[in-house]
Amino acid sequence: MAAGSSPAALPTNGVSHPQAAPAPRSRPRKIGFFKGILRFFRELSEAIAQAVTSLVAHRLRAALTVVGISIGVGTVIGIDSMVAGFDESVSKQLSMLGPNTLYVSKFNWGVNNNNFFKFRNRPAVGKGDWKALQAGMTLAEAIAPMTGTQATVSYTGAERELKNVEIRGTVESFLDTGGWSIKRGRFLSAMDEELGSDACVIGQDIEDAFFKSVEVLGQTIRVGPSVRCTVIGTLMRKGNAFGRSQDGVVILPLSSFGRGFGSKRGVTIAVIAKEGHLGEAEEEVISVLRQYRRLSPDTEDNFSVNRQDRIRQGIDQTSMAMKLVMFLIGVITLVVGGIGIMNILLVSVKERTREIGVRRALGARKLTILFQFLAEAVAVSCVGGLIGTVLGVFVAWFVAQLTPMPAAVSAQVILLGAAFSVGTGLLFGLWPAWSAASLHPIEALRHE
Amino acid sequence: MALIELDHIVKTYDLGLSKVPALRDIHFNIERGEFVAIVGQSGSGKSTLMNIVGCLDVPTSGTYRLDGRDVGTLSDDELADVRNLEIGFVFQSFQLLPRANALENVELPLIYRGVGAKERRERARAALDRVQLTDRWHHKPNELSGGQKQRVAIARALVTEPSLLLADEPTGNLDSATGEEIVRLFHNLHEAGNTIILVTHEPKLAARCPRAVRVVDGLVVADGPGREVALQNQHDLERAAAAAAAAHQSAAAQAGA
Repeated sequence: MAAGSSPAALPTNGVSHPQAAPAPRSRPRKIGFFKGILRFFRELSEAIAQAVTSLVAHRLRAALTVVGISIGVGTVIGIDSMVAGFDESVSKQLSMLGPNTLYVSKFNWGVNNNNFFKFRNRPAVGKGDWKALQAGMTLAEAIAPMTGTQATVSYTGAERELKNVEIRGTVESFLDTGGWSIKRGRFLSAMDEELGSDACVIGQDIEDAFFKSVEVLGQTIRVGPSVRCTVIGTLMRKGNAFGRSQDGVVILPLSSFGRGFGSKRGVTIAVIAKEGHLGEAEEEVISVLRQYRRLSPDTEDNFSVNRQDRIRQGIDQTSMAMKLVMFLIGVITLVVGGIGIMNILLVSVKERTREIGVRRALGARKLTILFQFLAEAVAVSCVGGLIGTVLGVFVAWFVAQLTPMPAAVSAQVILLGAAFSVGTGLLFGLWPAWSAASLHPIEALRHE
Repeated sequence: MALIELDHIVKTYDLGLSKVPALRDIHFNIERGEFVAIVGQSGSGKSTLMNIVGCLDVPTSGTYRLDGRDVGTLSDDELADVRNLEIGFVFQSFQLLPRANALENVELPLIYRGVGAKERRERARAALDRVQLTDRWHHKPNELSGGQKQRVAIARALVTEPSLLLADEPTGNLDSATGEEIVRLFHNLHEAGNTIILVTHEPKLAARCPRAVRVVDGLVVADGPGREVALQNQHDLERAAAAAAAAHQSAAAQAGA
């Protein structure tokens, strides 16, 4: 075949060649289903390895993005742990209030509706209210006024004194409001209250401190600066609550307490309702007290009747609101972090355009490229999530150490944090990864 | 059945306002075991032709059958698989991944085929043996010379045992001695039974190939033994140069008059 001077005259079909062509090799032309799955996992592990390599190569860039995600996840976990801790401690305290008990008090308990100045000017709840309730109520199992303070307790036979002991003033019906029982001796009687006697009942911690080797009943102890009282009974051990012993307690008759510590201190009257009559008992309490306090029909109550379930509701609302705020803060921070991920990924795609072209030319499918960049995004956000979790738990712990508020890190919130971080990576990585995958191989190869 | 059957291939780039024909009517076959140079000036359409033969692009009209299969009907994923299974690319600028060492670069196409790590490593080493780079496997591309980089690229193309080795200006970024080395390597690979298409603008390289196809303005203007096509190319160039000189002279004469 000669190359003529006229190009159009040349035959353009294939030429037979002197060299013998090798026999066609048999090869699979398509990648089978199982091999496809195998390939998928190999590519995935390759994508993860690539992602790690790429992130290590751009440490600073990756670290800055990680910080964004960490703060987002850390905020969510930290706040949630604190809210959960607060919830838990409130629940525990609430569980000490009887479910079937009404607490009459000057103040409204709970965390909201608490207009301090409005309540402050109310008349104090006192002995008169108690007497009125006792006289007027039909739906009460027991009615007990109580008040309390903290004071130093000492005993002449022992050198040490006990500081910050819980001192309570109450009456004989206190035992009926639940929780406590007598171990030895007797509890306060109506006579003790009537006379304002110097009788007292002590908890196990006081007995352990002063009367290890001495008969306790009949001994005289000193409570606060001015009160001396004679031990007439001891209480059964109650154990710890919130890491604090409940047994460091001295119970005095209400009248004696008033004499020693002042009678202006607010009193709370616990009214145990008859089983299944809590609502009616509440109405009865209100009507008896309004009558006793001579309130005209158009004035508001000048006392509060507190119920465990209502307090619970109020607190639940508060913690819901706190959780909502936390969620919003977390989402905003994660969106900011996510935009950071998007940014580094777009830069990464731009920088590696030629590499993408090479990979496509060598047989990488679109999805393979997509996975490769998504893996990078998810790797960043997972590292961020991990650090954020540690950060959040640490902050919660730190706050718990500094304040009386405990922290409770739940498994759910850690899962939530993990889901959030992976989700952020996927969501914000998708667009850059897709733009990488849909690059045309030829243009990508030509990219400078 | 020929390995490559190009049947009236047309490729037009749509630039919105105008349509630019890159390939106008390309029609030839390549048999298994052939070593063919596609030669042409830049802008002649040879790169477009290479992209279509390499399944990186599909023709606007006409059919391209690779090993009997019409490539024009394949999806993007299927084209990726064909590239992976049938074609080994060697690029002018090597196109190695800078952060991966030689061995990892050679392994790359096998990953997209789902070959396990151990087998990948063995096959990549064997491919590096074939290009005499056995002891450089752990070097990163920036620690290799141009010739060595191109050999790594050739090993990467060979490792999948493709039906077709497609080299785009493989000596373009190399000095003449190293280029010669690479050309000899291609000749050895051809003798070992590989089908090779070498895209080049250098008539000298085409002249050494058993067969050359010359592309001008999207048309095949010559197809024959490499030496003859190159010679004809030379004539054309001289004629064009003479015509240009004449035009220049007459322009100068007119200006002088």
